[in-house]
Amino acid sequence: MRRVLGPGSVTLGVAGALVVAVLGGGFALQRATLRSPPQSTLVGLRAASWFERYRLVDSTITFDGRVLHGRCLQDWFQEAGRRRRGAVLHLDDGYVLLAVPPHTLEPSGGLPATRTASPLVLMELAGCPRVLARRVQTLAQQRRGLSLTGDRLTFALKATRVTLEVDRRSGKPLGIHLVARGTKGASRLRFTRVTTQLRELLGVSGR
Amino acid sequence: MATLEHAGPGQLRIPRVAEESRPHALAWIGAWWIGGRAIIFATAVVVHHFGPVGWIRLVEHAHTFGPLEAWDGRWYRMVASSGYVLVPGRQSDPAFFPLFPAMLRVGHAVGLGYSTAGLVIANAGFLVALIAFYALTRSLFGLSTARRSTAYLAVFPFGYAFSMEYPESIVLALIALAALAGLRRRWGWAAVCAAAAALARPEGLFVALPLAVLAWEQRHTLSPRARGLAVGAVLAPAAAIGSFSLYLWRVLGDPMAWSQAQRAWGRAFSPLGAVHALDGLGRAISHDAWVTRDVIAVVLYLVLLAAAARAGVSWPWLLAGLAVIVLPLFSGSFDSIDRFGLLAPAAFWGLAALGSSARVHRLILGLSVPLLAAAVVVLPLHFP
Repeated sequence: MRRVLGPGSVTLGVAGALVVAVLGGGFALQRATLRSPPQSTLVGLRAASWFERYRLVDSTITFDGRVLHGRCLQDWFQEAGRRRRGAVLHLDDGYVLLAVPPHTLEPSGGLPATRTASPLVLMELAGCPRVLARRVQTLAQQRRGLSLTGDRLTFALKATRVTLEVDRRSGKPLGIHLVARGTKGASRLRFTRVTTQLRELLGVSGR
Repeated sequence: MATLEHAGPGQLRIPRVAEESRPHALAWIGAWWIGGRAIIFATAVVVHHFGPVGWIRLVEHAHTFGPLEAWDGRWYRMVASSGYVLVPGRQSDPAFFPLFPAMLRVGHAVGLGYSTAGLVIANAGFLVALIAFYALTRSLFGLSTARRSTAYLAVFPFGYAFSMEYPESIVLALIALAALAGLRRRWGWAAVCAAAAALARPEGLFVALPLAVLAWEQRHTLSPRARGLAVGAVLAPAAAIGSFSLYLWRVLGDPMAWSQAQRAWGRAFSPLGAVHALDGLGRAISHDAWVTRDVIAVVLYLVLLAAAARAGVSWPWLLAGLAVIVLPLFSGSFDSIDRFGLLAPAAFWGLAALGSSARVHRLILGLSVPLLAAAVVVLPLHFP
């Protein structure tokens, strides 16, 4: 061996082997001792990343025996002279909800049955991105409150029980099933890119 | 200006030191360990019963030693109990390196709760750190410096972190053991300890500097195989951090998740980070006055490193210490540098040089003890 390899090669070989051993040993130690995060947490975070990536969600909502088309946009709004993050929800029965935390929750228009519904329920069913993303991320971070059955991720948000139907491969949220006190609803979601035209259509650009 | 007996991690011959029996030395170190930790634990009990309540009333006041489980202890326990999760844009746990949570898991497996395991490991680790630091310092600078610097380390005011659920005590022990193994030409052990130090905290990486100089100075007297081990030991900390990245890539799909998670704490390294940290200092202090303590810590550590330099501590140790203290500033923040600086052995050698006069020695100890207790009292008032 020594006749074949010079001292430099031995030094390099031993150093290289030691580095590989540390790399492999360190990895093996972590694999052996640390737990992998629960699948529900990982699926939840992947779903939340879709809501973070898209600020506009189109939805077809089945609610109280009616079918509505919704569009929820997450954007910046002027409130009391300050720019704040919020959401505007448009339903095709003429209902418009402006939600800018912490003080603004302004519903207007729409049919009486829609106006009497809880704004939170409507926002969740319409897939308003920030509302859902924040909740899922908080629960994922705390490692509690997310349960996964097949492709359905269930969690609680205030007084509602939300089940997010996700694509198992990409984690993309496809639909929502919601149960609240005395109310049930479901929706199909489509993520849409925001354009200036769409913002103007939703009455946001001027705000 | 005081000088240390002799300096230089690169010395081939370990300097002769005054004879001291091992049991006597261990008993002396043990006494300092007990004394320092008694101050911390007794103060924690007082805080638990009488306050202040501050930020940690909800969780940590449920336990007698709750204040010592506060701050980042929660993150380490979370990683230990349920693994890593990266929440983009939010503070999340890949910012916390894996060795300490892995040790918590082992403690849990033998029947301890995660909180208890954390306190036991951190405090037992500090005893090992004191012994290893003493042995290293005695090898480099002689007995009296070893005794002074070990005593100062045991009651150093920022040393409350050694008793909290943090990996600092383990990292300091591993840094000292790696250097000691290198000095004694046990390069395989040096590699293991250096790698483990980096797997516990990124500052462990900087032990590579003194190890590299040691390896260079020993190069003519080492066999090719031992030279390979020495080179491997120098590269081991980087490889260990690589193994963490590999693990995160496997589990979370992002090898740099640990760096990404840091950003949510306002830490993003940039060449102008230190300028931003200084520029934003007024804002940072008005937002959280406790940053002042970190600023004082930076100044104190720099003064101690300067004292170490004047006393003849060799440049690799000084550079490693400087990296531990100054590099975090390039992330744009002064936060937590009081704790990070505990991993710069050269700072304590600088303190030992200052304490070579009996009056200064008494002054250092006289100030350290009440400041250490005060640091524990104010733990609940601040959440870094």
